[in-house]
Amino acid sequence: MREAVTVQVGGFANFVGSHFWNFQDELLGLADDPGADPVFRTAALDLDVLYRAGETQQGVATYCPRLVSVGSRGSLGSLSSSGTLGSSSSAADQPNIFTWSGNVTKSVAKPHERNLFLQSLSEGESNPSSSNGRNNARENIEDKDLVENLENGVIFWTDYSKVQYHPQSLYELYGSWTDFDKFDNYGTAKEVVSEWSQMEEMNERLRFFVEECDHIQGIQFLVDDSGGFASVAAQFLESIADDYTNTPVMLYCVRNPDSSGSSRNQRETIIRSLHDAVSLSKLSYSCNLMVPIGLPSLSYLSPLLSIKDDKHFHSSAICAAAIHSLSVPFRLQHVGPATDSAHSSGKLDIGELVHILSDQGRQNMITALDVAMPAPSLTDRKDLRNIQRSLHSLTPEISNNDEDPYAVESLVVHGALDAGGKRASISQVKDAIRSGLEGRETKPKFSHLSVSPCPLPIPLPFPSIFSGSIGQQGEILSNSHPEGSRPKGSLDVVSVPMAARLRSSSAIVPFIERRSTSLQRLGVARGTLGSQVLRDWGFGKEEVEDMGEHLAKMLRPFYPEMDLTSDSDDLVSVSL
Amino acid sequence: MSLRVLNPNAQVLNKSEALHMTINAAKGLQDVLKTNLGPKGTIKMLVGGAGDLKLTKDGNTLLKEMQIQNPTAIMIARTAVAQDDTSGDGTTSTVLFIGELMKQSERCIDEGTHPRFLVDGFDVAKRACLDFLEKFKTPVVIGEEPDRDTLKMIARTTLRTKLYEGLADQLTDIVVNAVLCISKPDEPIDLFMVEIMHMRHKFDVDTRLVEGLVLDHGSRHPDMKRRAENCYILTCNVSLEYEKSEINAGFFYSNAEQREKMVAAERRQVDERVKRIIELKNKVCAGGDKNFVVINQKGIDPPSLDLLARAGIIALRRAKRRNMERLVLACGGEAVNSVDDLTEDCLGWAGLVYEHVLGEEKYTFVENVKNPRSCTILIKGPNDHTIAQIKDAVRDGLRSVKNTIEDEAVVLGAGAFEVAAKKHLIDNVKKTVKGRAQLGVEAFAEALLVIPKTLAENSGLDTQDVIVSLQNEHDRGLVVGLNHHSGEPIDPQMEGIFDNYSVKRQIINSGPIIASQLLLVDEVIRAGRNMRKPT
Ligand SMILES: Nc1ncnc2c1ncn2[C@@H]1O[C@H](COP(=O)(O)OP(=O)(O)OP(=O)(O)O)[C@@H](O)[C@H]1O
Ligand SMILES: [Mg+2]
Repeated sequence: MREAVTVQVGGFANFVGSHFWNFQDELLGLADDPGADPVFRTAALDLDVLYRAGETQQGVATYCPRLVSVGSRGSLGSLSSSGTLGSSSSAADQPNIFTWSGNVTKSVAKPHERNLFLQSLSEGESNPSSSNGRNNARENIEDKDLVENLENGVIFWTDYSKVQYHPQSLYELYGSWTDFDKFDNYGTAKEVVSEWSQMEEMNERLRFFVEECDHIQGIQFLVDDSGGFASVAAQFLESIADDYTNTPVMLYCVRNPDSSGSSRNQRETIIRSLHDAVSLSKLSYSCNLMVPIGLPSLSYLSPLLSIKDDKHFHSSAICAAAIHSLSVPFRLQHVGPATDSAHSSGKLDIGELVHILSDQGRQNMITALDVAMPAPSLTDRKDLRNIQRSLHSLTPEISNNDEDPYAVESLVVHGALDAGGKRASISQVKDAIRSGLEGRETKPKFSHLSVSPCPLPIPLPFPSIFSGSIGQQGEILSNSHPEGSRPKGSLDVVSVPMAARLRSSSAIVPFIERRSTSLQRLGVARGTLGSQVLRDWGFGKEEVEDMGEHLAKMLRPFYPEMDLTSDSDDLVSVSL
Repeated sequence: MSLRVLNPNAQVLNKSEALHMTINAAKGLQDVLKTNLGPKGTIKMLVGGAGDLKLTKDGNTLLKEMQIQNPTAIMIARTAVAQDDTSGDGTTSTVLFIGELMKQSERCIDEGTHPRFLVDGFDVAKRACLDFLEKFKTPVVIGEEPDRDTLKMIARTTLRTKLYEGLADQLTDIVVNAVLCISKPDEPIDLFMVEIMHMRHKFDVDTRLVEGLVLDHGSRHPDMKRRAENCYILTCNVSLEYEKSEINAGFFYSNAEQREKMVAAERRQVDERVKRIIELKNKVCAGGDKNFVVINQKGIDPPSLDLLARAGIIALRRAKRRNMERLVLACGGEAVNSVDDLTEDCLGWAGLVYEHVLGEEKYTFVENVKNPRSCTILIKGPNDHTIAQIKDAVRDGLRSVKNTIEDEAVVLGAGAFEVAAKKHLIDNVKKTVKGRAQLGVEAFAEALLVIPKTLAENSGLDTQDVIVSLQNEHDRGLVVGLNHHSGEPIDPQMEGIFDNYSVKRQIINSGPIIASQLLLVDEVIRAGRNMRKPT
């Protein structure tokens, strides 16, 4: 087992993370639950990769995510920043002040109410065997009330989290008098980031988790890069690269659908474009693989889903599911020379994945993410719903052209179903994928496949984003979906088969090109509004040029002819 | 007015409305911070929405916790926080002084004086006041061996404004000794070389100075000693873990055999590095009762830990970067980046290294070192908010000692300076100014009194009485401040109440600058986000 540490920075990243950890928490529960689908036991993913065992000062054993989450002050809602473990909130009621004998004034912020779901969680904890008549009113609350309550009332990412976090995990950034609601571009974070002690604190928290690792495989880093947190993350990534030189970092840039918004005027449009360009340049600089996620809308992503764009609770769920799928290979149990077994195939660690995608074809580290949720079952011989063809991209601004002979991809399929809702075997899945690949006109240069029978579990606090045609096991019900039936959620769907793919191919070119061009066009020319904006963000002329050069360099592998004259040792010849 | 162009939504008010709004904002902020000031101030307990607690008695922390939206207030807050960044103290006084300058100005403006005159007067008064401070300050001879008593007095004054006396006095020696430990003649003092470490301990409020270093982690091998005496310390930044080089990811080998070979080769390299360390250990520890401790910034994996443990070495991994520097200053030797040319000279020394375990938290103490140039202040407290508040106080204390050494001067506190400076301005400076600018000098002089007034008010004393009796003493040529118990005049020199020279200087300097800017603003841009940081 090699450990992975997770970092989440910024609003939407924490929304995504919250779902992600709920999945893991659910897997933990299912592996111990005799009533659950046995596949969760027999093909369990190794959670030690993501979790750490520890104990509280009182000696109580704990098992918590190896996680550092960074958010703005106030973004934790009713969860205390010490996590759910440790200190109780009753400390506030009987304040013993040990340090001052003079006057005391107390100022109390309006407490955040715990919603029904969180209340039910803490009740479950305090009296698992239901009490003697005291809480009768509560007992009448059913799961469907909780689900409905969440559908309509999620404000904070903590509102639907059922996970116990370690006291070191949750860090709230304070920006003195920074309005975090308007933390909407790279420049706004300047003061927050320059507050040196905050970077130091974030580094210390991360070090706490890394120090414990005997053999860390890498860091998965999620950032909401739609605003100022891009800058926070860039700084954080830079010190990670310094401190853990050989530890690969896989970066997911996640944005909620409405984050790009509609710009009101030219100035805002320019700021947006520059923000995107600067973020890409800075963020890609200190990581090993970058996955941009964030379509302008998810409502039409798939007829099998029903996602409301304006709900972070919804849109973050699918991102989390895809990221979960991509993390499956890091946690497959079996290792052996054949890297194959009845229970899984294609175990990879983060470094290996990074290597496949960014070094085997072109030297490109910006990859597109595609997901099939749910993945169709293998039975459909007519190929209408072959898994590869059901994949939808979550990466914005990419080209639809799939015809890249230099493409490299890594596909993960887990929990796939066969005829009659039976789990498909590993070799069945492999065969199906292989034949799917044969069917493609231009084959990628290299395609890696990881397979596990373990599907995505759907925990109770998962949003109702499935269309009516999804069955209990995530199967696609053929004839039984009356149009307009209500969306299904965790009460109807127990688990879903998933497929997710990372692609390093020329499809990403427009994404990079657009940013590279905006920086050139808006930011470099002197005296323009754009260059003024960059100066306000604290970038000197040289730094802007460096960023521009960095973006241009990322495009170069896609235009080898341009590279003939320049330094050709950037290109590594690959033999396969 | 480029500001307005930038923000079309800003609302523009007319001049007089604008000025009053500004003045009100300044007064408002002053009111919030007022009760903080001095040894009789009020501590504030802030309870967050999720029940998180924060305790603070200092202006800096409180300002940062406040949600300020008013642009004037933000500007003042920024000035005050900048004050703390550069000199580490005087935030509350800065806010009070600016507020009071505005309040005094308001009176004159209401009587028809143009702000311009006030600003001119401020300028004269400020310069005169700075000159006066130069004469008024009490020089401190630093030399080779600074005067410990003066340093203690200044530290004690500062700490007693943040912690109750018993605790403050306990910390006084600690912060003085800590700064003296790291300071070298004629070199700037780097307070980062004082590590501040904390431990949660249920019923304990206790802090001590560790001459040496406390690390917040322990060794990761069950067979390593938890306590060792007479230790050589190897401080290094060398990877002692097997990192599968990414280029050689498994499935790209043509066969398993080749893969195994590569893995073995890389393992050998790591083992080789470990062996170098063990060789040095065997050499320096041969036959004696000496021990060997490795503190590494990079990782150490279990096979390497095994080898080290078998050789009787204690090893810590992933030490924080700054501790590399601290360790070398505390223990001697040097921080090495490679094990190729290891010699005994690279090693530091500690008389005692031991581990302390609290739940899952481990601490390693590296103590009994020779001539330490780095040390650790270890704070114990029953909960996070208490620890945080003590930490803030310790930082203030450290800064006050550092300032004193660097300033080579201190200033009599308890309001003595402010009363004396006011007298000087009124008696000697005012008459040198022509016309209405005199009003500015007067307003400035009056505003200085906000410090003794507020100190009196917070002590529950009658402000008028106190000010009158202080001024009387000064008129008689006695430099006195106020006794915060009785309100009687006292000699701050006798009582050992001193403030930092550089802190006072900065307050006098920045207060009128901001006040003048605020007074001269023609229009207030209400949207506020474009307010520039004052320079
Ligand atoms: N024992 C004392 N008696 C009277 N006045 C005192 C005494 N100790 C300190 N003072 C005065 O208290 C003032 C400092 O108070 P305090 O430290 O609370 O505020 P500050 O330094 O302006 O701001 P902060 O420390 O919050 O950044 C100084 O004017 C100092 O002379
Ligand atoms: Mg002070």
